[in-house]
Amino acid sequence: MIAKSLRFGAALLIVAAVLALDAEVQVNATTAALSLLLAILGISAQWGLAEAMAASVVAMLGFNILFLPPVGKLTIQDPKNWVALAAFLVTAVTASQLSTRARRLAAEAEARRIEMERLYALVQSMMLTGSARKTIREFVHRAVQVFGCSAAAFYYRPADEFVRSGPESLVVSDHELRAEVEVDDISVDAVRGVALAPVRLGGRPLGSMALVGSPPSGQMVRAIVNLVALTIEKARALEDASHAEAARQSEVLKSALLDSLAHDIKTPLTSIKAAVTSLLGSAPGADRELLTIINEEADRLNRLAAEVVEMARIEAGKLHLEKQPVAVADLIAGALSDLAAALKGRPLALHVPAGLPAAEADRDFAGQVVKQFVENALKYSPEGSPLEISAELKGGKIVIGVADRGPGIEENERPRIFDKFYRGRRHRFDTKGTGMGLAIAKGIVEAHGERIWVESEPGQGAVFYFSLAASAGGRET
Amino acid sequence: VSAGKILVVDDDPQIRRVMKATLVGHSYEVVEARTGEDALEALPREQPNLILLDMNMPGMGGLETCRAIRAGSDTPVIILSVRNTEKDKVAALDAGADDYVTKPFGIEELLARIRAALRRSLPEGGPRAFQSPGLDVDFETRRVRAHGEDVRLTPKEFELLRYLVAHAGKPVTHRELLQAVWGPDYGDEPEYLRVFINQVRKKIEVNPAKPKYVVTVPWVGYQFVGPE
Repeated sequence: MIAKSLRFGAALLIVAAVLALDAEVQVNATTAALSLLLAILGISAQWGLAEAMAASVVAMLGFNILFLPPVGKLTIQDPKNWVALAAFLVTAVTASQLSTRARRLAAEAEARRIEMERLYALVQSMMLTGSARKTIREFVHRAVQVFGCSAAAFYYRPADEFVRSGPESLVVSDHELRAEVEVDDISVDAVRGVALAPVRLGGRPLGSMALVGSPPSGQMVRAIVNLVALTIEKARALEDASHAEAARQSEVLKSALLDSLAHDIKTPLTSIKAAVTSLLGSAPGADRELLTIINEEADRLNRLAAEVVEMARIEAGKLHLEKQPVAVADLIAGALSDLAAALKGRPLALHVPAGLPAAEADRDFAGQVVKQFVENALKYSPEGSPLEISAELKGGKIVIGVADRGPGIEENERPRIFDKFYRGRRHRFDTKGTGMGLAIAKGIVEAHGERIWVESEPGQGAVFYFSLAASAGGRET
Repeated sequence: VSAGKILVVDDDPQIRRVMKATLVGHSYEVVEARTGEDALEALPREQPNLILLDMNMPGMGGLETCRAIRAGSDTPVIILSVRNTEKDKVAALDAGADDYVTKPFGIEELLARIRAALRRSLPEGGPRAFQSPGLDVDFETRRVRAHGEDVRLTPKEFELLRYLVAHAGKPVTHRELLQAVWGPDYGDEPEYLRVFINQVRKKIEVNPAKPKYVVTVPWVGYQFVGPE
């Protein structure tokens, strides 16, 4: 108030000084008018419209008395007087408007600069934190400091988590924040002093935020929201990348562990097996039986270890296939020669047509499937009953089947027999085997991208099938 | 009378113990080494007739040890390993091993493999020598010259070549060749032949990719092509 009166006084003094100077140097009326005009222009630009208008009136009066004839007398009726007053007033108004606008623009620019600086500081501090969650926590605390709000809150939707700067932020309820995620635009409630905004990136909702107290402009809030969204997304991407790396490393570790587990189990088994088979060579009858048991159980333990490790490898997706054209007859012959002892006394029919193309498969693993089928058939069919092994080209695929004359498999059990540890109802209490053989076979076949299935007529037997891709290369002879 | 001296290389003391007890029981003389490095050191001193080499050992490991042995010795090497994929077998044979046995094994199987690896000479009646402009083999002195240079074949490579030369001009099946060179317990290891035939070709052929002497007979086996 005092400043304002002072400015009025000063404005009037300036006009008076100009008038006095003009009178002193005896300038003509035009020069006097121009000098007054300049003074008013200056006052208007410097202080504003009101001061300039007051100065205009005083200048008009002084001009009239001192320079318009009759000099020394106020002649209001003179039209020259009105022209001068009009000129002074128009100048005052125009100049003040121009300068006010310039000042306002400058002030706005300054305000924006400060906001940008704050935003920059905010983003910088958020960027430095590692995870999305830390970024949000940092944002909430920095937002209060940086924007001079009394409180801030953030709802992070992927984790359904609320982060608040303090209890003051409870003005905005969890419910409100949650609802804001679905809203399209920000809302500034001047009465409550609350700005609410959804946080999105590319249309994907990340959450919402609220600033309480004296929230910055809507435009500013929008800018904050965009930057926060970007920063969170960046932190999330970083997190995902490091998770993926951690997961990959744990896979590598798992694979190495499986290898060393297999090695560590098989090493003592090697000593046991070598020792017991050595004793078996010269053992008398009574000991023979006991040594044979040790030998067989060592084999069983070995198989079990191999199956556990292989199952784990299949489940970890770590089966490493080396596909190449494989003659189906070789595949079957290999499996049969491995099982030669168990196959003794079993009539075996083999149907592999001449000219069957080679299969595109991993020789070791595909051979293992055939072997598993044959072992399964041996286990679940009466001793001495015949087995039948067939291979044929069907719809571009090579289909290998192993048939037995066992009791067959009930329809409701068929899909489940390839499950890990599943045993048929009838065989639930058999102790032989690990219950993993068919699950492993399934894992191997599926790793080839092929199909495994069983067909059965209960009471007549079962036929296990799996398919392999036919090799584009040469034909089998 | 010792049936031969065997160097057992394994980092597991129990395995060395059981091997020693068993092999000594079968009239072999046994020396032990705990690592590949120890084995290489013991080799010139002990001059074993055969080496049983564990694949998975700390330090230089079985494959590297095998290659190092082969750099200076023809002593037969049998690799023992818990891994049983074809890839592992081929890697072992490529490293110069004569045979590959998967752990755990029955002792009879190992003894058969040891006997096969120690078998040096084929039944009588084979050729004494083979001569052609590019290849010169003396089966009595076991000397091989290819393109004017002395080449050294391992015992198994040498037996392979001898059997093929003895049946020059006729295809020899995989099984026949395996049983002749490795022993009667063999026949289902075509990967052995792939590796050894490749090595023989590398040593005696001008262009191993287009062999002139040892040619493949598709789906059957191999054949030696004589000068006639």
